[in-house]
Amino acid sequence: MKNFAAAPLQSCKKNWVRLISAVAVIVLATLALLALIYVIGESAPVFKHAGINFFLGHEWYYRDSLFGALPMIYGSLAVSLVALTVAVPIAIPASIWTAELLPVRWRSLAKGVIELLAGIPSVIYGLIAVIYLREWVYDLFSPWFLTSGDSLLTAGLILAVMILPTITTLADDALCSVPEQQRMAARGLGLNSMETILYVSLPQAAPGIFSAVVLGFGRAVGETIAVFLVVGRMDGQLPNSTGLLHSLLGTGQTLTSKLGGAELFLAYGDKLHWSAMMGLALVLLMLIGFSLITVTVTRFASAFVHHRFVATNGRLSA
Amino acid sequence: MTYTRTFRNLVKYGVPAVCWAAGLIAVLLILALLSVIFLKGYHSLEPGFVLEESREAGASGGIRYQIIGTLILVLTTAAAAIPVSLAIGITRVSVLKHSSLLRHVVDGGLQMLNSMPSILFGVLGFMLFTQHFGWGKSWLAGGIILGLMIVPIVSLAFVNHLLSLPPNRLEAAYGLGLSPQQVLVSVWLPHGWPGLVSGLFLGLARAMGETAPILFVAAVFSGAGMPLGITDSPVLALPYHIFVMAQDSFDSRAQANAWGTALVLVMLVLAFNGVAYTLRMKLHYGEHH
Repeated sequence: MKNFAAAPLQSCKKNWVRLISAVAVIVLATLALLALIYVIGESAPVFKHAGINFFLGHEWYYRDSLFGALPMIYGSLAVSLVALTVAVPIAIPASIWTAELLPVRWRSLAKGVIELLAGIPSVIYGLIAVIYLREWVYDLFSPWFLTSGDSLLTAGLILAVMILPTITTLADDALCSVPEQQRMAARGLGLNSMETILYVSLPQAAPGIFSAVVLGFGRAVGETIAVFLVVGRMDGQLPNSTGLLHSLLGTGQTLTSKLGGAELFLAYGDKLHWSAMMGLALVLLMLIGFSLITVTVTRFASAFVHHRFVATNGRLSA
Repeated sequence: MTYTRTFRNLVKYGVPAVCWAAGLIAVLLILALLSVIFLKGYHSLEPGFVLEESREAGASGGIRYQIIGTLILVLTTAAAAIPVSLAIGITRVSVLKHSSLLRHVVDGGLQMLNSMPSILFGVLGFMLFTQHFGWGKSWLAGGIILGLMIVPIVSLAFVNHLLSLPPNRLEAAYGLGLSPQQVLVSVWLPHGWPGLVSGLFLGLARAMGETAPILFVAAVFSGAGMPLGITDSPVLALPYHIFVMAQDSFDSRAQANAWGTALVLVMLVLAFNGVAYTLRMKLHYGEHH
C-alpha cells in the first residue's frame, strides 16, 4: 500500500478531482495562516502602545486607553488550575478503572458513558452552573462574606466537570497502549495486580497521561460560554482581596469571557481598542500553542526514550 | 519503601477502592446531569412547545424558530464542512506521498484547528463576515464558521476510516492497472464515504450545541423568523436561546422554558451522536466481511 499511494501525480491524465482537492487544501492552509497573521498584525498597535505592560498591567480601562491584560490572564489560569485540581484526582483513577479494572466488554460502555459528558453542549453546563452550582458555592462559602455565587471558583468547578471526560479518555488510551507483556512480566515477578498498575502501567503511561492533563488544561483555557455565565461581572481589574481562597471566591474575568462579552462590538470602531482585543486573542492562542507544544515535545521525548532504552532487544533496561 | 504485608495489602485493596470510587463518580455525574436535564425539561415538552413561537421574551410560548434556526445552521454547516473535509481527505490519502512531511503537516494542522477555542472562530467570523463583508448577523456566516470549526472532526474521521480500509482492495485496483485517479473514484470514495458521514454527524452534534462561534455572527434572541436573504438575516438558535435565558433566569417560567430548550438541544445532540456511533459500529462490523 505504501508504494501504491506514492504513484506520482503526473502519471494520470484526468487528475481534476485530486487537483481541486490539493488546491482547496492549499487555499485553506493559506487562509488559516492569514488569520494568524491578521491576529498578530492587528494586535501590534497595543503592544506598541502598552509594551510589556499589556501582560503585566493590572488595569483595563479602555476609556483611558489603559490596556493591562493581567486580570484576564490571571482569571484564565486560575479557573483552569482550579479545574485541573478538581478533575485530575478523579480523572486519572477513573481512567485506571476503565483501562485496567473493568472487564473488557464493560470498558467501552463505561468509556462511552463518560464520553457522553463531553458531548453535552457547554451552554447547558452553563445553565446547570447558574441554577445549581452557583447556589451551592454561595451556601457553602457564605461565611466568607460572598456577595454572590459568581466566582472564579464556580467557573473552575464547572470546568472541572467539562474537562473530566477529556482527561479520562486520553489517559485511558495511554494506559491501554502499554503492552500486555509488560503486565505479564510484572505478574510473573510476583507483583500483585494492583502493584502491577502502580509500578508498571502507570509509569509507562505517564507521558500519555501528562499529555492528557495538558490537553485538558487547553480545553479549560479555551472554554467560553459556561465560564462567562458564572465567572461574574468583574471587569478590567484583578480581584481585590488577598489570600488564595479569598481571591478565588471573588468574581473575575477570563480571556474568553472578555472576548465573548459585549465589549467586542464596542471595540471594533476604535483601532487601539480592537487591537487590545486581538492582543487577548493572541494571548489565548499562545496558551493553547504552549499546551500543544508541550504535548508534542512529550510525545517525541517519550518516543526517543522508548526507542533508546526500552525497545532494545525487547528488553527493559535503564 | 518497605514492602511489608500491610503495605502490599494497602495497595491491593486501596487502589481499586479509589479507582472504583472515581469511576463511579464520573458515571454518576453524567447520569445525574442527564436526569436533571430530563426532569427539569420534560414538563415543557409538549407539541405546543416545539411548534409555537416564543412570547414574552421567552417566558411563554414555544421554541419553533429556535429549532428551525438551529436546523438551518446545521444544514449550512454540513454544506460548508463536506467539500472541505472531502478535499482534505482526498489530498491526505491520494495526493500526498505516504511518508511525506506534508502528511504530518496536514495532520498537525488539523489537530491544531481542533484545539482552537471556539470563541476565536466567533471573533474572526465577526471581523470577516459581520464587519468586513458587511453582512451583519447572518445565518450563512454562522454556518460557514461552524463548518470550518468541525472540519478537523469530520476530516480526521474520514481519513482514519480511509486508512483503515483493507489494503487488498487497493492492491487489487492497482493490480488491474488503474491510475491513482481511477482508484480514488472506484475504491477510496465508494468505500470511504461512510467514514465521512459518521464524522459529519459527530461534527454536527458538536456544532449545533456551540454558542460562542455564533454569538457575534449569526444568532439573535428574538425578532427573527425564516431568514430571507444573506445580509442582516440572523436566526434564532437553541444554544443562544439558553445562553440568554440563563443570564436572567429569575423568572420561574423563563427558567422552565430554558430547561425545556436544554432538553430539546440535548436530545438533538444525542440523536446526532447516536447516528455517528451506529454508523461507526456498522463500519467496524462491515470491515470483517
